[in-house]
Amino acid sequence: MDFCELTYEPIDINDVARRIVLPECGATVTLDGYVRQFTNQRETLHLFYEAYEPMALKEMKKLTEQAHKHFEISNIGIAHRLGKLKIGDTSVVISVAAPHRKAAFEGCEWLIRELKRTVPIWKKEVYAEGEVWVEGEQTTNSE
Amino acid sequence: MTVQLLFFGATADITGEREIDFSIKKNSRASQTFSEIVERFPGLAQHKLLFSINQEYAEGHETLHDGDELAIFTAVSGG
Repeated sequence: MDFCELTYEPIDINDVARRIVLPECGATVTLDGYVRQFTNQRETLHLFYEAYEPMALKEMKKLTEQAHKHFEISNIGIAHRLGKLKIGDTSVVISVAAPHRKAAFEGCEWLIRELKRTVPIWKKEVYAEGEVWVEGEQTTNSE
Repeated sequence: MTVQLLFFGATADITGEREIDFSIKKNSRASQTFSEIVERFPGLAQHKLLFSINQEYAEGHETLHDGDELAIFTAVSGG
């Protein structure tokens, strides 16, 4: 069964990756997205993530449903962390298990791209001189 | 009619609100209501905005109903 989670706790990447394995699967591709120290030559002190939680979960679920239509994959696990994150902290894990690795790679890539485009979560970058809410590319959800 | 209006991230900072009740005319079209919200909070106009109705992205043509949950936010930046 796919799962999508929002959490204020550190994400256990291995737990996400192993929870989705089924006997029919031959490979799991896992994206571990974590906080980078420098962006546009500016040093990040920490990030803060906020979500419209019920809608974010709905949109993540829609993405998993669409991913199953587009790719021959068996199971998906998505965990996104909210609140204050330090450099190196994992912000998002997307694990995709499939019979064959090609579909797992493609599905995982698609899911992170679409999550960043459509799921109502926002990142505030806090740096030495101030802070800013990062604004993504404006677009609405569409297949 | 009253709708519930939610703000997040940058829009919460700009408006100073997280959640307010907003009065609108009966059978209001979503795009009209969104314009009224930006008029009420002009600081929003400087940003590209997204809107949702009852946790679904809005296109603007929708008719609103009493008690609808609206949200206004800037382009998402998760991941």
